[in-house]
Amino acid sequence: MAETDKFTEDILRSAREKAETIIREAQTETQHASDEAKASITHESEAVVRNAHADADAIKRRQISEARHRTKLREQQEKDKIVEEILDQVRKRTSQLAADEARYTPMLTHLIESGIQELGEKTVMIHVNKADLERMSSLTQKVGKSLGSVRVEWSKEPIQAMGGAIVSSVDGRIRIDNTLDQKFEALEPKLLIEARASLFSE
Amino acid sequence: MSGIETVKVIVDAEKQAAKMIDDAMTESAAIRKRIDSLVQQQRQQMLAEAKKQADDITARASAEGRVEAEQFEKEAAQALQSLIARASTRKNATVEKLLSLVTRVE
Repeated sequence: MAETDKFTEDILRSAREKAETIIREAQTETQHASDEAKASITHESEAVVRNAHADADAIKRRQISEARHRTKLREQQEKDKIVEEILDQVRKRTSQLAADEARYTPMLTHLIESGIQELGEKTVMIHVNKADLERMSSLTQKVGKSLGSVRVEWSKEPIQAMGGAIVSSVDGRIRIDNTLDQKFEALEPKLLIEARASLFSE
Repeated sequence: MSGIETVKVIVDAEKQAAKMIDDAMTESAAIRKRIDSLVQQQRQQMLAEAKKQADDITARASAEGRVEAEQFEKEAAQALQSLIARASTRKNATVEKLLSLVTRVE
C-alpha cells in the first residue's frame, strides 16, 4: 500500500512539476516576446515621429521656396513691364526723331553715307520713307559730298520705316539696311540690358 | 489491496497527471494568446499616439511655414514697391540714355 501511494505520488509530483515548467516557460517566453514587441513598437513609433519631423522640415522649406519663387516671378513681371514701357517710349521717340530736322538730317545723311561706303558699289540706290522722300532734294545736296565718284540714285518707292535708309545695289541684290527700325532691332538686346541696369541698379 | 486495485490506483494517478499536463498546456496556450492580443492592442495604441504626434508636428510646421511665407511675401512686396518707385524716378533718364544709343552716329 505504502509503495503504491509513493508511486502514485511520484507520478503526480512529476506531472505537477512538468505542468509548472510548461506554464513557467510559457510565461517566460511571452514576457520575452512582449519585451521584444514593446521595443519594436517603440522603435516603430519613434520612426513615425522622426519621419514627421523630416516631413515638417520639408513642408516649411517648400512653403518658403514657393513664396520665394512667387516673389521672384512677380518682381520679374514688374521689371519686364517697366522695361517694356521704356522701350516703347524709346521706340516712339525714335519714330518722332524725323520731326527734329536739326537732329535728324545729319543722322540720316550719316546713315546713308555709311551704307554707301559699306556697300562699296559705284552706283547705289537709296530707299527712304515717304517723309524723307519728300525732302529728297535737300538731302541730295548733303549726301555724297564725301563719296567721290559714287553715283547716287533715289528710289521713288517709299519704304515703311521710322527713318534712316536702305542702301542697295542698283539691281537690288545687295542691301545695307540702315533704317532706324533695323538699328533699333539690332540694338534691342543691348537696350534691354542698359534699361535694366539704369532702372534697377542699386 | 489487490493487484487489480493497485493497477486502478496507478491508472487513476496517470490520468490525473495527464490532466494536469493537459491543463498546463491549455493555460500556456491561453497565456500566449493573451500576450499576443495585448501586444497587438499595445501596438495599435502606441502607433495611434505616434501618428497623432506626427500629425500635430506636420500641422504645426505647415502653419509656421505659412506664416513665414506670408511674412516673406509681405516684405518682398514692400521691397518691390520701393524698387518700382526708384525705377519710376529713373524712367526719363533711362529713355534719354537709350535714345542716345539708338541715335548715336558711329
